[in-house]
Amino acid sequence: MNRLLKRAIIFIGFFFLLTPTVFADVKRIYDEADLLGAEQIQHLEEQAASYFSEWSTDFIIVTTNDTEGKSLMSYTQDVSDDLAEELNRAEDNMVILTIYIESSEDREAYIAAFGKGKEYVDNARVQLILDHIIPPLSDDDYFGAFELFFEKSAEYLNIRPGVNPESLLLNTYVQLAVAIGLGGIIVFFMAYSSGGRSTVTSGTYLNRNNSQIVRKHDRYLRKTVTRKRKPSNNNRGGGSGFSGGGGGVTRAGRSHSGGGRKF
Amino acid sequence: MVIQYKCPNCGSDMTFDAESGSLSCDNCGRQDNIENFSEDFIETVFEENEAKEYHCENCGAVIVTDGDTAATNCSFCGAAVVLADRVAGILAPSLVLPFTITKQQAEQAFRKWCKRGLLTPKDFKMADRIKEITGMYVPFWLYDLKNEAKIHAIGTRVRNYTRGDYIYTETKYYDVYRDLRIDFSRVPVDASEKMDDSLMDKLEPYQYNDLKDFKTPYLAGYIAEKYNYDADDLLPRVKDKMSKPLDDYIRSTISGYHSVNYKDKKIRTSKSKSLYTFLPVWMVYYDYEQAEHIFAMNGQTGKVVGKPPLSKAKIAGWFASIAGGSFILMKIISFIVTGGINF
Repeated sequence: MNRLLKRAIIFIGFFFLLTPTVFADVKRIYDEADLLGAEQIQHLEEQAASYFSEWSTDFIIVTTNDTEGKSLMSYTQDVSDDLAEELNRAEDNMVILTIYIESSEDREAYIAAFGKGKEYVDNARVQLILDHIIPPLSDDDYFGAFELFFEKSAEYLNIRPGVNPESLLLNTYVQLAVAIGLGGIIVFFMAYSSGGRSTVTSGTYLNRNNSQIVRKHDRYLRKTVTRKRKPSNNNRGGGSGFSGGGGGVTRAGRSHSGGGRKF
Repeated sequence: MVIQYKCPNCGSDMTFDAESGSLSCDNCGRQDNIENFSEDFIETVFEENEAKEYHCENCGAVIVTDGDTAATNCSFCGAAVVLADRVAGILAPSLVLPFTITKQQAEQAFRKWCKRGLLTPKDFKMADRIKEITGMYVPFWLYDLKNEAKIHAIGTRVRNYTRGDYIYTETKYYDVYRDLRIDFSRVPVDASEKMDDSLMDKLEPYQYNDLKDFKTPYLAGYIAEKYNYDADDLLPRVKDKMSKPLDDYIRSTISGYHSVNYKDKKIRTSKSKSLYTFLPVWMVYYDYEQAEHIFAMNGQTGKVVGKPPLSKAKIAGWFASIAGGSFILMKIISFIVTGGINF
C-alpha cells in the first residue's frame, strides 16, 4: 500500500517535472502588439499546451500592429502557413485567432481553423465564438477574451459538426425547466381526468340530415397592404463592425474555415 | 297504487334481469318477455289515499319512500314495487333504456376501474369498502332542438410576397354571411334534483338504439325517481350545453379564412320535442377514510365517473419519475446529438 502510494507520488512528481519542458518547446502565443503581461502569456501557453495534449490541435493566438499591407485574413493565412511548416505536425489541426490593432478605434479579430479544427469549428461556429469574445475585446479585456476563445473552441471540438452548440435545447437549465413543466402538466392532467371525462364531442347529438346552410355569401370588401424591409442576415450577433464571413485556401494550399469582425 | 309482478309459476316476486332483458323470477328461474307479460299477473292495488302512503302487497308493511321515488323495494320484505301513480299521467316516461349491466358486473367493473387509477391510494384500489351499489333509473329529458342561426362576420385572407428589398403583406377583407339550420337530436339532461349535473353529463354517451317504449316492468327491482324539473325548466341548461357544438358547427361552415371576426350572431333555439326518459345508472357508495365517495356508472356502457381520492405520495412519485425520466432522456439525446467526446 505504502509502496504503491510512494510510486504514485514519484510518478506524478516526474510528470510535473517533465511537463514544463513540454511547454517550453512549442510557442503558441505571439503577442507582438504587446497586449499581455508575461504571466498572462505563460498562463495561456500552459492552457494551449494542455489543450494540445487533449485534442491534438494547436490553439494559437497572434496579436499584431502591422499586417504588412495585407487583409487580416490573408495575414492570418500566411502566419498559419509559416507556423504549420515550423510545427510540422502529422495532422494539421489548428485554430488560430489573430488580433490586429491599428488604433483603439480600428481593431479587428480573425479566426481561422484547419483540419479537425475546420471540421468542428466551421464558419457558423467561428461566428458564435466571435459573438462570445468580441464584447471582452471591446472592453480591452484581451486576456479574458483569449481564455474564452480557448474555452469555446475546445467546447465546440467536443460537439458533433452540424449541431448548433449554443442551441437552447442543449442548455441544462432549459432541459430541467422542460422536464419539470412536462411532469407537472402530465400529472395535473392525470389528476384532472381521474374522475372520468366527458367523451361527448360536438358531433354527438348533431342531426346531420337536417343541419344545413340555407343561404350564404362571401363578399370581397377591401384590401390593405403593408410592407417591411427584408431582414438582412449579415449583421448577426449585434456586435459592432463587419463580419468577414467564410474561410478560404492559404498560399500553401491549406483550406480553412474562418471569420472576422471589427471591434 | 303499487304494482308488483308475480311469477305465473310460483307466485313469488319477479324483477327485471339486465342480462336477458326480461322479467325473471329469482325463486324458480322463470323468465317472461316484458312485451307480452300477461296483465293478469300484474297486481295493482289502489290505495284509498293515493300518492301518500303505499303498502306492500306481500307483507302489508308501509313502503317508506320520499316524494320522488317511482320504484323501490319494500324495506321490510324486499319485494320489488313500482309506484304506479308516479309513472302515470304527466309523470309517465316515454322511453326507457333498460340496464344491460347486472349488479355483479357493475361491482366487478367498478373494482377494475379502481385498480386502473394511477393516482389513487393503494388501499382505495382494493375496493373492499363498497358500502352499497344501487341500480337507479334517473329521469332525463331528451331534447330535439332546432336552431336558426344568422351570422355576419368579417373574414380575412392574408398573403405574403416579396418585391425587391421589401416583404409585402396583403390582407383581404370579406363580408361573410351564413344562414344556417342546425338540428340536435336527443340531447340528454338529467331532471332529478338529487343528481349531480356534472357527474351525469360525464356518463354520456348512451347508445340510443336500445331505447324501449316505457313499460313499468323495466323498473322492477331498481330504484326510480320521478323528475323534479319539467322540460321547460331545463331548456336553458340544454341550450347552454349545446352552445359549444353550435359554435363549432357555425365555425365549420366558414372556411378558407385566416381569421374570422363575428359582428352579429342571431341564434334562435326552439325545442321541437322533449321525451321523458329513464336512463340506467349504477350508483356506487364507497367509504374511504371516514368520508363517503359517490361514483356513478353508466348502466348501459359501464363507464365510471366520480372523483376518487388522490394520493399525495403517488402524485409526487409520478411527477418525480416523469420529470426525472424526461430530464435524463434529454441529456442522453443531447449527448448523442453533440457526439460526446469525439477525439
